[in-house]
Amino acid sequence: MAQIFPEWTNKLPTYLAIGVVVLAAAAVAFVWYYFSPWYTDVGYRPLQPVPYSHKLHADDLGLDCRYCHNSVEVSPHANVPPTQTCMNCHTLILPESERLLPVRESFSMKLPLQWVRVHRLPDYAYFDHSAHLRAGVGCVSCHGNVAQMKVVSQKQPLSMGWCLDCHRHPDEHLRPHEELTDMYWQPPADQAEYAKKVRMEKNINPPVVCSGCHR
Amino acid sequence: MSRSELDDRGGYWRSLEHLAEMTAGSQDSSGKAERAREIPSNPWTRRNFLTLMGASMALAGLAGCRRPVDKIVPYVSQLEEVIPGVPRYYATTMPLGNSAYGLIVESHEGRPTKIEGNPEHPASLGSADCLTLASILGLYDPDRSKSVRHKNIEKSYADFVSFWRERHSSFTAGEGSGLAVLSEAFSSPTLARLKRDFAKSFPAARWVAYEPISDENIYRAVQNLTGKTSRPIYDYDRADVILSLDCDFLQTESENVAAARRFADGRRIIGADHVMNRLYVAECAFSVTGGMADHRLRLRSGEIGRLLLALAGKLSQMGVDTGNVPPSGETYFDERWLTALAEDLVRTKGKSLIVAGRRQPVWVHEVTLALNAALGNIDETVSFHGMPDALSTDRDEFAGLVNQMSAGAIDTLVILGGNPVYDAPADVNFSAALGRVEHTVHLSAYYDETSRQAEWHVPRAHFLESWGDARSADGTVSVIQPMIEPLYGGHADTEIFALMAGGRELRGYDIVRETWQSLLKGGDFEKQWRSVLHDGRLADSATPPDKYRAMKSWSKLWSEVPSRPAAASANSLEIGFYPSHLYDGRYANNGWLQELPDAVTKLAWDNAALISPKTAEELAVANNDMVRLEFDGRSLEMPVWVTPGQADYAVALALGYGREGLGQIADGVGFNTYLLRTTGADSFGRGAVLAGTGQTYALANTQDHSRMAGRPIIREATVAEYRDNPEFAREMVEHPALKSIYPDHDYSRGYQWGMVIDLNVCIGCNACTIACQSENNIPVVGKAQVARGREMHWIRNDRYFVGDLDDPRMVHQPVACQQCENAPCEQVCPVAATSHDREGLNTMNYNRCIGTRYCSNNCPYKVRRFNFFNYVSEMAEVVKMAQNPDVTVRSRGVMEKCTFCLQRINRAKQQAKKENRLVRDGEIMTACQQACPTSAIQFGNINDPDSQVAKLKQADRKYDLLAEFNVRPRNSYLAKLTNPNPKLSGGSETG
Repeated sequence: MAQIFPEWTNKLPTYLAIGVVVLAAAAVAFVWYYFSPWYTDVGYRPLQPVPYSHKLHADDLGLDCRYCHNSVEVSPHANVPPTQTCMNCHTLILPESERLLPVRESFSMKLPLQWVRVHRLPDYAYFDHSAHLRAGVGCVSCHGNVAQMKVVSQKQPLSMGWCLDCHRHPDEHLRPHEELTDMYWQPPADQAEYAKKVRMEKNINPPVVCSGCHR
Repeated sequence: MSRSELDDRGGYWRSLEHLAEMTAGSQDSSGKAERAREIPSNPWTRRNFLTLMGASMALAGLAGCRRPVDKIVPYVSQLEEVIPGVPRYYATTMPLGNSAYGLIVESHEGRPTKIEGNPEHPASLGSADCLTLASILGLYDPDRSKSVRHKNIEKSYADFVSFWRERHSSFTAGEGSGLAVLSEAFSSPTLARLKRDFAKSFPAARWVAYEPISDENIYRAVQNLTGKTSRPIYDYDRADVILSLDCDFLQTESENVAAARRFADGRRIIGADHVMNRLYVAECAFSVTGGMADHRLRLRSGEIGRLLLALAGKLSQMGVDTGNVPPSGETYFDERWLTALAEDLVRTKGKSLIVAGRRQPVWVHEVTLALNAALGNIDETVSFHGMPDALSTDRDEFAGLVNQMSAGAIDTLVILGGNPVYDAPADVNFSAALGRVEHTVHLSAYYDETSRQAEWHVPRAHFLESWGDARSADGTVSVIQPMIEPLYGGHADTEIFALMAGGRELRGYDIVRETWQSLLKGGDFEKQWRSVLHDGRLADSATPPDKYRAMKSWSKLWSEVPSRPAAASANSLEIGFYPSHLYDGRYANNGWLQELPDAVTKLAWDNAALISPKTAEELAVANNDMVRLEFDGRSLEMPVWVTPGQADYAVALALGYGREGLGQIADGVGFNTYLLRTTGADSFGRGAVLAGTGQTYALANTQDHSRMAGRPIIREATVAEYRDNPEFAREMVEHPALKSIYPDHDYSRGYQWGMVIDLNVCIGCNACTIACQSENNIPVVGKAQVARGREMHWIRNDRYFVGDLDDPRMVHQPVACQQCENAPCEQVCPVAATSHDREGLNTMNYNRCIGTRYCSNNCPYKVRRFNFFNYVSEMAEVVKMAQNPDVTVRSRGVMEKCTFCLQRINRAKQQAKKENRLVRDGEIMTACQQACPTSAIQFGNINDPDSQVAKLKQADRKYDLLAEFNVRPRNSYLAKLTNPNPKLSGGSETG
């Protein structure tokens, strides 16, 4: 009697077994990446009401981050500047620019600009900018090289695991106070030693308990 | 039965049901029976909830994948001092009647969120009471009036101003005849100046003050006795023996916050040889002050005066000059009690103090003051301070005004604050008299009972929105400065007063500064003004004490004593009216205060007719029975609550409830007891009749919630027992060595947070509960939820009775999360949502919690609270502005509990790190600690041996609640002490 199934079907269970494993692995990998903030949040680049370029201001013109975000060292929030700050310069520079129309309107009509939040933490996480800057964590560690961004986008996942990575191993992210806003600073060769010293001096023990950030 | 015998039997009980269980030996300790009572249920049944949730889930899929767009809205021009994310603190003042309480208000980007006492102000000393703390919620109340109204039609403020200008000029011609102003009492340089201006413009006009609750009787007595307008200030801390006559000076009397601190300072014991004051209380309804008494005599308010007579007689026998005391004619005062009290007062001459409550008639106050003088207490424990810039209430003037109104002699009546249609005595019939007045103006925060009958209604600004000033009891003057622009277009008292007086629209700021030009004499005005605004008071502005010289002889005093009242019986009860958590009703729309369980009855969201167990038995009524109360030809139906410790044949009624058309919170809650209150019986009266109607009513009562029965929860001893055995508290529980099956954490390094609550000075006033609610965004859940035991308070105040059902003592114990080192809740959480941090805090992760409630089940203290609903979703948007941005707002299905004010700990730690130092002792104050009027709560780092809390943890009276479970709580208690007179030891101390 002729065989009902052709010979190649003999290998079917093997293929199937391999296939299931591969598929399962793919599914895990898919969820692992595509469901994580690395995919869902990183790269978020909303349009802002004013086409403000950090590259132009922070890189080409060399403004310090803290000219506008001036509360970053004294407050949990790094403030988005009031319209007044823009107008400090733009009453003289490009006073007629069409792209700056929303800024001038905001200023004259006393209506605040509504910027779109890029870096967003959940409401139950209380991040404190001033504490991190005091410890010596530079802007670039969390925000990426903002000085190269024409439109700001999110570079890091800002997930709890990502926070904890740094809280457990903060050494490579600590830098001297004067380098905080330098986007191109590289840790020197003796970074480990520097970190050890500065952690002693400044009593830096990043919390890894719930109460460090949640309240 | 001696106290220790009672304690051995677990003699502490919370309710009548609890006591019955104890005597019957039943083990049901959860109060389930109580909770199962039929309560108004929510229309949201489980079934229709699931139906709707199914539908929303289906729809949610459509929109759930997109990241929500979040906006950042910066200032246009930022204020120089404002740093987004960093709260600012401003000093201001809360006026209440003739009192003023100095405050520090926390403000986030111009949004006030939290009220604290101002440590530099003599009337608050850094603390605050429930009313003050809760008034921040009143600021945002969406039910406040939002517009000027003319005959119930919305008008603009300009319309009102032009109306008034027209009246103003026509009255100027007639010198103000036919014009009258009815205001609240005040002590304010600016308001007094404007009132003088008004009198100058309109010499024929009448200005009367009325408030249902006032110190009028006290002021009158001082006036009659000394011929001066001044008020007594009591230095409780300097008194060794205090007799309180119907005077709840720790809670409901004026100047209660400073009184509580001073009283506690005289009672605080550190070490066995410390001296502690002794408090005798004679009162009708159980009060917070009565709970602190070493000897309490339950006595109907109308018989307090007879006690005073009997006491004066006794004192006279002991050589104190009290003139020729008429016989009191009473035989029912315990001779032994009276003798012991009199001996105590004589023994501590010059360091004793007799105080009478504002409910008592003028003659009682006169005799009290004269007795204080005879005992040499004047200028020692009592001093008199003049009342400049004050207008106090006057019931004769008020009655005269109402008569004039009824006679049609008043053409225009301006009511500045207050709500007389609701709270004037029932026999006065203010409402009808108001109808006879042609033009009426009512300045009021709510469109209330009076506003609806007035021609014009003008919205009144909250004190946090107003410029003004006020004098505290000792005359210290301070500024009321606004924290925010009026949210609903309200107008400050100062602005309206100025408009009334001068017909001109002025800014409150200018009006107040004009007054202060004369107050701040010499030197740079601007500099001094700024320092007053910063400090919250003008330093050294207290008025010097008046010299006391009695103008009345003893014989004159005694000749005015009224004759003895007829005996009370079950058919002729004494009726008494008391201020509630809602004060006189002005806080009725405040959810925090409505939901706050009463300190004594533990009733929330209602008032009831309180009667003693014996009276209830004779009248055959029980808890929750509806009764019909008849008094002086008027009647009211309301439920009954049986209150141990109350005088027999007396019914106590809380004021301020039973509102209609005031707001979403107040409407329909409780019963309007003003309907029974008459001029002759504005505090108490005789001849009320109470009869059951056969109906019942469901009251929400928390007294049986969260019981920890049968264990030595409260530990107390007399001072003598304590001296014999200072370690008594620790020895009350014997247990084997405590070993844990879990590995121990190392808590020997770093900050280790701990708390100590001194039960000896805790008065049970509930300020901690409200402070916590304000600081930690705790929602209001409503009566139906409270009745189910779902109140959310992180710190509750357990009230226990001990001893005899008719005449027990009362003990309070605040219980928050005990922050166990070996926490039972953590061990049962399936998702590790509650876990420990390295500083010994038992932390709670809302985002991780899945709501199994295992933790709450396993908590021996029953301090965990579960969000059965998304309570915030029902909150008006504007009320969300009162929320603390530093604390997570919890959602449905999440467990929560006390965090030791983690946000304050973290802020202080980060500040200390920025300044390269350690957190200083006292730098972190939890909200409850900060509010506590008696400083009963201490918090700090127990690893620092010099910290206040570490020292208290070493105190001999220290004990840990349920330590025998090896949960190792971080919160400890100091055992309560009582200081009974050795001559009265034994059970017959009560009369």
